[in-house]
Amino acid sequence: MNCYEHTLIAKQDLQENQAKDLINKYKEIITKNSGKIVKTEEWGIKNFSHKIKNNRKGFYFHIKLEGTGQTIQELEKAENIDQILIRFLTVKVKNHDLNKIYFEKKDI
Amino acid sequence: MKRRKNIKNKKRFTQSKLSLFQKSDIKFSKSCPLSGKNAPDIDYKNIKILKKYISESGRILPSRVTSVSFKKQRKLARSIKRARLLALI
Repeated sequence: MNCYEHTLIAKQDLQENQAKDLINKYKEIITKNSGKIVKTEEWGIKNFSHKIKNNRKGFYFHIKLEGTGQTIQELEKAENIDQILIRFLTVKVKNHDLNKIYFEKKDI
Repeated sequence: MKRRKNIKNKKRFTQSKLSLFQKSDIKFSKSCPLSGKNAPDIDYKNIKILKKYISESGRILPSRVTSVSFKKQRKLARSIKRARLLALI
């Protein structure tokens, strides 16, 4: 099992229900593919430093998870098709650092 | 007039770390500011630190200006590029 950090950027015109549905959808995909969720963070709406696909703002989510390479493959496969998402990033880390908080966030 | 010019030139050369891209208000120490015991974490989420090491136009500052060690400079560059991808910087 490897440790990963996954960040999602969705379009800004998300309702609260939609945001919860979106994150739950991807959580399910992770748990189905032998992954384990350590922590979920919601960074909220942030301004982009530059335009991405004509968007100026985005809704940020951050997931810390454990899993295999296949978990990530399946996750990114689903994300590539999704129209609501603007961008995502997966980073492999050695250990999860749960103490440091860089953004003001709400736990889900 | 001549004196003024001289002083300006002197300032430029006496400040050891000055390049076109450096912000004037930040001064860098001679030893690596990112290694050692109480060094800050280099992470793509830690924007406060990363912003110190990019120019106004968003380019990565060379380690010859900032005196970051080679190992940390590689890590720094990687995390700056990750932060750029997420449009945080």
